Amino acid sequence: MRRRSFLDWLVGIFGTALAALVAYPVARFLVPPKIPEATTRRVLAAQPDELAPGAFKIFPFGSRAGILIRDADGGYRALSAECTHLACTVQYRKESHSIWCACHNGVYDVEGRNVSGPPPRPLEKWVVHVTAEGVVVELGARA
Amino acid sequence: MSPRPRRTAPARTLLGLAGLLTLGGFVVAPARAAVDHCQKCHSEQDGKAGEAARKYAADIHARRGIPCSGCHGGDPNDPEPTGMDPGQGFRGVPARAEIVGLCVACHADAARMKRYNPRPYIFSVDEFRTSVHGRRQATDPKVATCISCHGVHDIRPHTDPASPVYAANVPATCAKCHNADYMKGYGIPTNQYSLYVRSVHGQALLEKGDLSAPACNDCHGNHGAAPPGVESISMVCATCHGREGELFAKSKMAEGMKHIPTARGCETCHGNHGVKHPTDAMLSTAAGVGACTGCHEPGSTADRATLFIASGLDTLKWKVAGAESLLAMAELKGMDASLGRERLRAARDQLIGLRAALHAFDGEQITSVLQTGFEHATAAREQGAGALRDWRVRRLGLAAALAVILVLIALLVGRIRALAVARSAPGPPGA
Amino acid sequence: MNGRLGGWLRGRLGLDVFTHLAEKKEVPVHKHSFWYYWGGMTLFLFGVQVGTGILLLLYYRASADEAYESVRFIMTQVHFGWLIRSIHSWSANLMVGAAMVHMFSVFLMKGYRAPREATWFSGMALLGLALAFGFSGYLLPWNQLAFFATKVGTDITGDLPLLGPFLKRFLLGGEQITGGTLTRFYGFHVAVLPAITTALLGLHLYLVQFHGMSVPPSVEAAGGPRRSLKFVPEFLLRDSVGWLAALGVLGLLAALFPWELGLKADPYVPAPPGIRPEWYFGWMFQTLRVLPAHVLGFEGEFLGIIAIGLAAAVWLLVPLLDDPLGRDRRARLWTAVGWLAIAYVVILTGLSYR
Repeated sequence: MRRRSFLDWLVGIFGTALAALVAYPVARFLVPPKIPEATTRRVLAAQPDELAPGAFKIFPFGSRAGILIRDADGGYRALSAECTHLACTVQYRKESHSIWCACHNGVYDVEGRNVSGPPPRPLEKWVVHVTAEGVVVELGARA
Repeated sequence: MSPRPRRTAPARTLLGLAGLLTLGGFVVAPARAAVDHCQKCHSEQDGKAGEAARKYAADIHARRGIPCSGCHGGDPNDPEPTGMDPGQGFRGVPARAEIVGLCVACHADAARMKRYNPRPYIFSVDEFRTSVHGRRQATDPKVATCISCHGVHDIRPHTDPASPVYAANVPATCAKCHNADYMKGYGIPTNQYSLYVRSVHGQALLEKGDLSAPACNDCHGNHGAAPPGVESISMVCATCHGREGELFAKSKMAEGMKHIPTARGCETCHGNHGVKHPTDAMLSTAAGVGACTGCHEPGSTADRATLFIASGLDTLKWKVAGAESLLAMAELKGMDASLGRERLRAARDQLIGLRAALHAFDGEQITSVLQTGFEHATAAREQGAGALRDWRVRRLGLAAALAVILVLIALLVGRIRALAVARSAPGPPGA
Repeated sequence: MNGRLGGWLRGRLGLDVFTHLAEKKEVPVHKHSFWYYWGGMTLFLFGVQVGTGILLLLYYRASADEAYESVRFIMTQVHFGWLIRSIHSWSANLMVGAAMVHMFSVFLMKGYRAPREATWFSGMALLGLALAFGFSGYLLPWNQLAFFATKVGTDITGDLPLLGPFLKRFLLGGEQITGGTLTRFYGFHVAVLPAITTALLGLHLYLVQFHGMSVPPSVEAAGGPRRSLKFVPEFLLRDSVGWLAALGVLGLLAALFPWELGLKADPYVPAPPGIRPEWYFGWMFQTLRVLPAHVLGFEGEFLGIIAIGLAAAVWLLVPLLDDPLGRDRRARLWTAVGWLAIAYVVILTGLSYR
């Protein structure tokens, strides 16, 4: 009798352990991860007020790189940061209010149009939404 | 409208000629006509005059309201052949030697050109004089004149694709004369066009239609077309290849080349008319393969520097490729490689930048680019390797679960046995 | 089931009906009793599928633009997403395997004899549903392997006589595999098939309870005292051991052979070499592959499809074809057919991997 109830007790313990080992991953699975969805169409690019006016940031958008620029008047612009020449990562130059690629001196205006140097095509422009959570960048309507 | 008297002799001759013509009543002010009877009548004829008259309708001069008399003289208002009156300045077909003076009389006249265009191109006789074409006008009957390149009765603006001086048509226009047949006896190379069409510039302009690629005039100039001087070669290339040109201009290589007459800036390594897309093989130290071996002896300091750059480039390429394959493997397995991808992108930026940076021929700069590149590539590789490690480590976590399951199975089997024993053994009454 | 809560529930839900059934149910014990576990095993694995499937559909997106990315998201961002996904993929295979073991063992033990014909028919339908689940689910990650395997499968469907082209258009939602196909397959996988399966499974389980467990003819003939186990708790305990072992195997497989993400499907590149449907279609696929292009003036593939169809029909109708008592020459013939079928399926499945 005592051995039987000891066995029962053990079964109870290990059964509970197994239940926990199953329930734990399921519970954690159900809790949404930090990024709520795959970054195929939109991504949270920056925190609110993370960028000062005139500053810029390179952010990941899925497998691509994007550039987020904050204008002097506080508005935002987002474009693909991959230079259309040889895919180097571009940067923003506040003084000349233009986007510049260090690899071969390619220059784009802030609308993304290639204005000087080797780039053959403009940078892809993206849509920006300013929300309470931060700056959300979304692919353009035609993407 | 008298010419300002500070020109060299042949130029004075040219413009003196123009002055004479002016006095003769030609070319002073192209008579405007309500109807250009010259053109109207001649265009109904056969023969060369008829052809010319018919073509002229599309000519930019016609479109600006300049009648045939603007170059040929005569009275365009007279519908009869009496309009071809020498008294009215008629001169028929101008002689070859008169052509430049004829065109220059208007096109070098700023006030006149501004009437037609607020931002006119004013022809510079000075500039024309710097070229062989300009200098040989009086002595060589074969030399190019205005109409050789621009056409004659259907002259169009250079932005018009039908114009012989439209960017994509320029190489063929120059090659009309600059070929082995026409240039026989002049003692200058005649292979420029055939080299150019196979070059990266030629293919970009002529095959891909990329108008940003240079034609002959972009490097040689338009009316002052001349082979760029030794110093100006690098300036020419740097017009478009700004970054490389900028780095090169400040380099020891550029400085050193000034003392070597056979060294010609960018052209030394890249060639001129036949310039091909540069490859990493140009950094090889193998004689005849690498661009450096043409001047630098094997074993020299420069040769060792070449080896340094080449091996650095190879190492960076190899590291980037290694990181890429590890990250790709991780991604195929469904592991998160996004951080590694970011570092890999930065490493690739350095790799591309290195090929520009080496034009500084500065060990420190090159080393710095290489180091940054190596760092990023190594970090990318680490992330990939880490992702694969995580993938393997998951097994350990599950080993724990397996242990619990095995124990539970053993316990249940024990319970089953106990039940079976209880069943077969007769239990106490009432149990 | 005792105490105040138990009493309250019993009174409200009428649970006594079930508890009586459960207490009365007995399972025969004989040398072939091992095979009785496989129905329950299939059911357990189906339960795992439903559970992990429901978890996955909280994050999965069924559009061509987002399916692959959402699976990648599940595997890289969602906590234990990789585990749930790997278990779902492995358990699908184990479930089909268990279903086939269950079917073959029932066949050889002649559990389809009267009055259990309806149980056999519903079971065959359930097997068909399991294969449909597998086929529709396989496309959902939208990777190269899945895309082209589905293409092969639907191409063969299109070759079926008469209904082929219509069926293919119905499955694909068009003439080719597109995002529309993915949405449709998803609809089948999470709504249509589960609804039908629930109904049929309910029927199948009810019939099993109603008729009780059958006993193979050899055991019937041997006579003697019939030993049996009570379903609750003895058989259920043994079932649990099996289910725990299955859980352990699933964990092992998920850990040692995790399911790959692969490359996103690209309809415009040539199919990678060696594309074939999942292993449970392997024997059919291999049959079509080994047939020569033309046989007796007919296209080999066409004949193959007809042959497989006929064989399946015969297999389905075996309760009506075999001896109801399961003892005479007819019975021995059908047993041989059963062994032949097992051998054929096993060997051809193996060959399909070469």
